[in-house]
Amino acid sequence: MAKTYIPKADDFEFIGSRDLNVDLNFASQGYWKGVAVHFLRNRLAVTGVVIVGVIILFAIFAPILSSYGYQEIVSVNDTGKELVAKSLPPQIADGSAQNLFADKTFLFGTDDMGRDLWTRTWHGARISLIIAFVAIFIDMLIGTSYGLISGYFGGLVDNILQRFIEIAGSIPTLVIISILAIFMEKGIGLVISSLLLTEWIGMSKIARAECLKLKEREYVLASRTLGAGSFHIIFKQILPNTIGPIITQVMFSIPVAIFTEAFLSFVGVGIVLPQCSLGSLIEAGFGNITILPYQILPPITVLAFLMLGFNLIGDGFREALAPKLEDM
Amino acid sequence: MKKIFALLMICAFALITGCGGDSSSNNKLSVMLGSNVVSLDSAQCTDSSSFELIADCIDGLMQLDADGKPIPAIAEKFDVSADGKTYTFHLRDAKWSNGDPVTANDFVFAWRRHCQVSTKYAYIMGDTVACVKNADAVTKGGDPTTLGVSAPDEKTFVVELDAPVPFFPALMSFPTFYPINEKFYKGLAEGTYGTSPETFLSNGAFVLSNYLPGTANIQLKKNNDYWNAAQVQLSDWQYQVVTSSDNALTAFKNGTLNVVQISGSQIEHVNKDPELSKNLQTIPSGALSYLSFNQDPKNHHAGALANVNLRLAISNAIDRQSLVSNYVMNGSVATYTAIPIHFAPNAKTGKFFAEDQKQFADVVSFDVEKARGYLDKAKAELGRDNIELEFIYANDAGNTVVKIVQSIKSQVEENLPGVIVKLQPMPKAEYLDKITSNSYDLAVTNWAPDYDDPMTFFTLWTTSGSEICEHWSNAEYDKIIADCTTGELAADYDARWQAMYDAEKILLDNAVIAPLYTGSNAMLIAPNVSGIEFQVTGVNRVFKSATIKQ
Amino acid sequence: MSKYVAKRILMSALTLFVIIFVLFVLIRIMPGNPFPVERMSAELILQKRAELGLDKPILIQFADYMSMLLQGSFGNGTSLYNGAPIKPIMFACLENSFKVGVLSILFGTTIGLGLGIVAALNRGKFLDGLCTVVSILGVCIPSYVFMIFLQYFFAYKIPFFPYFFDPSQFLFSSIMPSLSLSLFSISTVARFTRNEMIEVMNSDYVKLAEAKGLYGFELLRRHVLRNALIPIVTVIAPLVVDLVTGAMVIEKIYGINGAGSLMVNAIAGDGVDYNYVLALGIVFSALYIAVMLALDILYGIIDPRIRLATKEG
Repeated sequence: MAKTYIPKADDFEFIGSRDLNVDLNFASQGYWKGVAVHFLRNRLAVTGVVIVGVIILFAIFAPILSSYGYQEIVSVNDTGKELVAKSLPPQIADGSAQNLFADKTFLFGTDDMGRDLWTRTWHGARISLIIAFVAIFIDMLIGTSYGLISGYFGGLVDNILQRFIEIAGSIPTLVIISILAIFMEKGIGLVISSLLLTEWIGMSKIARAECLKLKEREYVLASRTLGAGSFHIIFKQILPNTIGPIITQVMFSIPVAIFTEAFLSFVGVGIVLPQCSLGSLIEAGFGNITILPYQILPPITVLAFLMLGFNLIGDGFREALAPKLEDM
Repeated sequence: MKKIFALLMICAFALITGCGGDSSSNNKLSVMLGSNVVSLDSAQCTDSSSFELIADCIDGLMQLDADGKPIPAIAEKFDVSADGKTYTFHLRDAKWSNGDPVTANDFVFAWRRHCQVSTKYAYIMGDTVACVKNADAVTKGGDPTTLGVSAPDEKTFVVELDAPVPFFPALMSFPTFYPINEKFYKGLAEGTYGTSPETFLSNGAFVLSNYLPGTANIQLKKNNDYWNAAQVQLSDWQYQVVTSSDNALTAFKNGTLNVVQISGSQIEHVNKDPELSKNLQTIPSGALSYLSFNQDPKNHHAGALANVNLRLAISNAIDRQSLVSNYVMNGSVATYTAIPIHFAPNAKTGKFFAEDQKQFADVVSFDVEKARGYLDKAKAELGRDNIELEFIYANDAGNTVVKIVQSIKSQVEENLPGVIVKLQPMPKAEYLDKITSNSYDLAVTNWAPDYDDPMTFFTLWTTSGSEICEHWSNAEYDKIIADCTTGELAADYDARWQAMYDAEKILLDNAVIAPLYTGSNAMLIAPNVSGIEFQVTGVNRVFKSATIKQ
Repeated sequence: MSKYVAKRILMSALTLFVIIFVLFVLIRIMPGNPFPVERMSAELILQKRAELGLDKPILIQFADYMSMLLQGSFGNGTSLYNGAPIKPIMFACLENSFKVGVLSILFGTTIGLGLGIVAALNRGKFLDGLCTVVSILGVCIPSYVFMIFLQYFFAYKIPFFPYFFDPSQFLFSSIMPSLSLSLFSISTVARFTRNEMIEVMNSDYVKLAEAKGLYGFELLRRHVLRNALIPIVTVIAPLVVDLVTGAMVIEKIYGINGAGSLMVNAIAGDGVDYNYVLALGIVFSALYIAVMLALDILYGIIDPRIRLATKEG
């Protein structure tokens, strides 16, 4: 006679207490963890981090450790006359008495005011790094969201936002900054404010163009059908897919911002001497480029390495954030 | 394609043989101009480039010889009345380049128009300089026909003055006093005079063959109708606007330019090269660079500089010798008087007005101890220990100014504890606005003499002159200057000369300004170029008798 | 489409009007006077300002300006600084800048596209790395430094090109300045082309096309380039405006009578020349707006999936 099985309590367990989705063959990981793993696996990207890191370290510590201040004019008193160590080529202290400054080390030489270019280059790198990060911030935050919103909503919103860009883009930066200068102290704050007002325009165009391309894609349509809100679609669906061109654009807006600052300083509305930046050092070295070429070399080289580093990081990020390009 | 191939070939060839630039000199004289020509209208221009180009093309009543003495130009001769207040110029038979004769009426027209247009140089007709009758009234909007000039006939030009002016004939070489052909001017559309070779008439040594306002390249050729055409050697030549001294030096080495002006680091470089340094000439410019102190007690920084001891402290804390030898480097001379050196020789002794630089050494010198003494007094009087001063300068004024202000900041802060100098660079327009609207503390000013008399500087600091810049006023000083220009001393050369030293003493005892240095221009001139005349006043370079050997 | 374009043109005219107004107001807030004020007393400055009508309420000044503009004259038609007429000078400068600018766009797009395509096709190989380095250097070295470099080697060391700009041999003497001006656009275009192409080449439709047997140039032209072009065109468009409106420093170095130095001089020179800044501002903005309009229309042509006009109804 068949015995009816009577279920016991421990025959069952609550499904809620166990994760059924665990794939033991390919362990899942968080999105950002995945990005980090991808990024760190990329040798070039890591090189970029090292380059930028080294430059940041030098920018922070080289001026502190240097025996000269960035605005210190090195001079000696030679029988009552002041002699300034100006326009010296790079030299290392040799202790000999061939010239009056032989006991001093100027790794990058001195500028035409008699200041140590080593200290000034790294001090300038500080200012330029600040400007670089401001440029990244402006591009990523203001430019991208402006462009995406404009492109996604289209129609009237797009029309108004684009006309505003045309107006903002048509006012010369020099006019804007001259007017800001009435209310603000001259210096890096003023430069940053004027960058905030103008430098996001290029990025917003890229973001808008990308958005125009992507918003008709099937996955956007699917999201919308499923009831996703506009901002969810813009920032969760479209943004990750536009990351490539956006990162490329950021890489270009960094030097543009650095040189905009240099131009503003050149005209007299930028940072205030004896303060310096990589851009203004290049500008200053430019005045003597054919006879004292070593004055322009250090800032340009540091800038080139900085840009190389940023580009490598940017490429690494792009590939890590959008793994479809890679080995998927 | 052929051209690209040719380029590659030449590159390869040059790289292999390692040859440098072809230094065969240009047969055409090419002169560097340091800034754009603002205007060819003598009533509109305010800059030395414009003056130079106008003077190449137009002759005034008089011109200056190589030593700076006035000699006749369009005026064959002139008579002065016994009281020195009426000048009668007799014009020679000169022609405009369209064939019209140059008449006295052309001068009357130009002078009246100049007063009406009233730009920066409006003052030069007025009672502080030329003292032309009613000039100040016409400048302020009066009837132009009341101006003290007349043309009794075609070839006679009469000027009436309010006071005798000892340097009046020399003043006639200044472009503001040049003629304009009235008929030609009135035949042109409004505002187009002097904007192209077709809208500009010469009566001088050269005519324009290619010109546009703001252009970087200006072509000139000889004016065959010039009254003194026999003297003119150049047949056609050009100006090239070059703003960078580095660029100018390379262009000179290249043979592209024959006459260039260089500064700072370039001069050091040239001096190291024995071949190149043979071409270097240092020409005094007679311009004074000085620190302006804004002394208005109502000024936005509560007028610390209204305190005379603070001004004296700053003036004595600046090592002018170091400024000149380390940063200016173009042959400029440290100056301790309010009037620059190389300028205004005494008509009798031939000595420059500011020959004795030690004259005011008790108040203008480089002496840190003394400066600190003044500073202590100033601090006690002002009742504060920290004084912050805003030092404005125009950034586009060139590399030299930028170096000078940084060096002054560093010297003052080092030598005067408690004084903080805040540098404020700005575009030129804003700089001029700040100065005229009284919102600055310190400024570097560079003033070139307009005529060969110390008065061209002294009138800057009278109550009416100083309200533009320094905001200082002293009744005694004003009286001396008034006496010397329109008053009782105007006719007495020696007494006037002596009185001007008294005025200078008041000026420097009060440290109204801190003189820095007398300017100089370092020029590279190709060995085959000669005969360029240099003047410290008005028109700085004259090419009428310049030659270039082929 | 034509309805959309007509609407856009109307909107652009309105935008231009707003720009003129904003610029008109801003320029008058800027510190500085439009005429030379050196050694002028405050009293004389006020007299001069009154003569130029600068003491009137700003809206009346603007109305006056607009009525003159509609009659085809920029303000009173002359510079407030030296009294010279604006139009002939401005257009002469614009012409020079335009010619040099167009040449540099040609250099920039052809060299840039070429570099980008080569880099993308050789992804990860030596040529790709070389293109990356070139484009990084291109943005790090300011165009004027490159200009001095060219001038030093190809006009001074090897006197092949004229040392200064020579209008009588326009094309020949434009090569150096336009090459140096194009440096930035070469880099930008090359980078964007490379990255876009890689992205497109990895997309499904290109893989499908490949699977169908398309390859080589035909594949590039029909599928890859067309899709990669959108962001590239977006980058080039504003560069076009930048390039044809001139570059101050290069103009100064090479002695080109161009619009870039004219504009900077009008804003930051010895005086703020209101009439010049406005005249140049109007021309530049009109150009900018026109390019943006063309860009939006181009989007539709390059990528048929984009239909800007659909939402307009």
